[in-house]
Amino acid sequence: MYSMSELPMPTQLITGNEAIALGMVEQGCRVVTAYPGTPSSEILAGVIKYKKRLSRDVYTEWSVNEKVAFEVALAASWTGLRAAVAMKQVGLNVASDPLFSAAYTGVKGGFVIIPADDPGPHSSQTEQDSRLLALTAKVPVFDPSTPAEAREMIKDAFALSERYRIPVIVRPTTRLCHAVSPNEVDESAPDEKIPSVKFQKDPVHWTATPKLRFKLHTELNQKLSDITAEFSKSKYNETIDANINGAIGIIASGVAFHTAQQALTELGARVPMLKIGTPFPLPLSLIENFCASVKTVVVLEEPDTCIELQIADRNNVKGRLDGAVPNAGELTPEVMFSVLHKIFAHAGIQVNAAPEDNELSAFIKTLSLPVRRPRLCPGCSHRSAFYAMKRTFGPRAIYPGDIGCYTLGTNLRAVDTFVDMGASITMANGFFQANRLANDERVIMATIGDSTFLHSGIPPLINAVHTGARFVLLILDNHTTAMTGFQPTAANDYLADGSEAPRKVSIPDLVRACGVEYLKVTDPYEQEDFADILKDAQAHAQSPSGGVAVVIADRPCVLYDKEPILENPLPVIITEECDGCRFCTEAFECPALVLRADGSRVDIDYTICVDCGQCIDACHKGFIVPKIAEMVG
Amino acid sequence: MNPTSTNERKVIITGIGGQGIVFLTRLFSQTALDLGLGVVVSETHGMSQRGGSVISHLKINGSDAPLIQRGSADVMIAMDPGEAMQNLDFMRRGGTVFVNSAEGLHESLAPHLERLDIRVLNHPATATAVELGSPAAANIVLAGFVAAFFILGLPYENMIQTLKQISKKGSEKNLQAINAGFEAGQKINEEKLKHKGHEAHTGKEGNQVVSVSPS
Repeated sequence: MYSMSELPMPTQLITGNEAIALGMVEQGCRVVTAYPGTPSSEILAGVIKYKKRLSRDVYTEWSVNEKVAFEVALAASWTGLRAAVAMKQVGLNVASDPLFSAAYTGVKGGFVIIPADDPGPHSSQTEQDSRLLALTAKVPVFDPSTPAEAREMIKDAFALSERYRIPVIVRPTTRLCHAVSPNEVDESAPDEKIPSVKFQKDPVHWTATPKLRFKLHTELNQKLSDITAEFSKSKYNETIDANINGAIGIIASGVAFHTAQQALTELGARVPMLKIGTPFPLPLSLIENFCASVKTVVVLEEPDTCIELQIADRNNVKGRLDGAVPNAGELTPEVMFSVLHKIFAHAGIQVNAAPEDNELSAFIKTLSLPVRRPRLCPGCSHRSAFYAMKRTFGPRAIYPGDIGCYTLGTNLRAVDTFVDMGASITMANGFFQANRLANDERVIMATIGDSTFLHSGIPPLINAVHTGARFVLLILDNHTTAMTGFQPTAANDYLADGSEAPRKVSIPDLVRACGVEYLKVTDPYEQEDFADILKDAQAHAQSPSGGVAVVIADRPCVLYDKEPILENPLPVIITEECDGCRFCTEAFECPALVLRADGSRVDIDYTICVDCGQCIDACHKGFIVPKIAEMVG
Repeated sequence: MNPTSTNERKVIITGIGGQGIVFLTRLFSQTALDLGLGVVVSETHGMSQRGGSVISHLKINGSDAPLIQRGSADVMIAMDPGEAMQNLDFMRRGGTVFVNSAEGLHESLAPHLERLDIRVLNHPATATAVELGSPAAANIVLAGFVAAFFILGLPYENMIQTLKQISKKGSEKNLQAINAGFEAGQKINEEKLKHKGHEAHTGKEGNQVVSVSPS
């Protein structure tokens, strides 16, 4: 008989995000908050999964935005509990105000911030490097290279945070977040008692005045200097193959470290490597010693330069700053190989050629294979709203858009601008004022999703109403945060862990409370009525007493809630008369409308069609018809 | 440098959003894990899931780098022939492409495939799944087809074990699907055996199948 403790811990395949979540739960983190955003979205879901499996008492929430998430978690830390907050990298911009302040005030319970960076970028508006924001805010950073290391770093980040009473960042990147690898999960480990802590008033820190802030700044600098000394002995900063007397040495951090190792295997080369796991504060003594030990140093990091930037003497250093490494983009295996290949060739070192067959790669390009760009799903209510909007106001109108699935409205030319969360409303506001000065009377129609509206749409709406801007704001309310995997918003009746929300917040009530006088809530599937309401809203915006007119397109995401279509399906067929004019495939762009290879006609791909019937209006020649009508006719 | 000389297997799994690429990847990676092999997978999330191309990188007993370098994949498993061709330059010399298709890849690729000694094994998995009355199980049909060739070192019995473990609903249908794919693969193997007898006679060697044993 085995006792429980003797049983081998079960190994599970989990994602990097889940490994981070597991690290939080098993380290006794009691409050975890987040706002969803690729590549970070599965972290909070992971916390919820493991708090249940490990029977831990952890408060979790999908906060209304990242600043809110940061501050809710920070307060928990100030009581003395361990707390963490997760977001995508641009979310840290939203939370940068409390980040900078909290670096000065310090924390009490361990406080860990996870901003997930997106080198590429794959699904972000910038390739910004959160390590640089940490450097500016003066907050220490761990840079994990594998999911298992991220989990280990969470443990050390909490301990460091408590030792120095400082917020600590653990910065993963997309490839780590979405890597799947084996992790031992001990679901039987008993929960530790929740520490009996209470918030204690501490005016010197929690309400520091500017004079005290200066003192806190000097204290912060001292903490960083002590942490630098500690990091110079950290296990996360490790020299590998130091004894290889090479002309070339590599300094690498994060996923780039393993990609570099893989490239070296392909190249058939071995060189000394310094793996850096703590890019800030950077233990410069390690860096300087390493740089002195080899002739040429290559710094490999993502997405920008953090380590390289901190090296004062870059005489023998190559990287993104001198152009040896591309100054933008992900360090994919191909980029990594080509960078190192060039550096080896330059040093006169014989290495293997790239394994990729250029002749084949070139030939594939000549095949003109279909490029599958991301599109709105079959049955998506945003498509119906955009289609009606475009038909009503045409290509001349100005369409400021926002961040979410509906950013894909660019394909339908229904999104002319997107900047950041909430900017559709502020851009419309600005366009109105600029156009007024320039006597430009074009229609302005902004679109924003429900979650994005709640995240950062309300102050812009108040601003537009108060300053008398005139435009139509279309809130695309699909009842969920669809793009990132259906996280609930404040308008939903349930919370992050599935429990019932004590109250839900009404978007129409919020709109009215912002001072908006024209508000209509309508179903975009009723395309004709919907178009009429948009026209009416535009007329109101332009009327003498007009202002911002708001229309809420109310229809759940088809992936989130299939009920409405299942209850009321409208299967369609395309008649024999279809001449392949491509109007529907381009202006409506449903993935289920497929142009034949010879261009002769369009067919419906019934394997993905959801029977929404919305494309009936997408053929102005009337060749898309309800299936029943065809059978009767 | 010959990747077949080690236990490492680099596998590209590709298709279009909605074809069950993530599940297919899970099926292979969980089987490998249960056999005690090392596993690292890189998944596609976010924008590309909305009807776009989906690609998973699976490394069995490989390095910790999440992505596979172009020109070094041992095996590709493609639910869509277009995506197979789009990603064909991931294949190393002597690699094997499994594709969900009745015809295989575009005929103009033949000289390149021959030059690079890349073998293409195709099966119309979607058609088979439709015949079985479970069109959504096309990915599982293809998994069975792949298992029949034992190139990944993952025994068919273990694949079935995993399938039972990770598929919640319609497990009976799923078992039918994996079996249909496996039998289709076996048929090709049998034909090849007959053919190989002929090859041995003429002194030619077929594409070698190297098995991987658990470490």
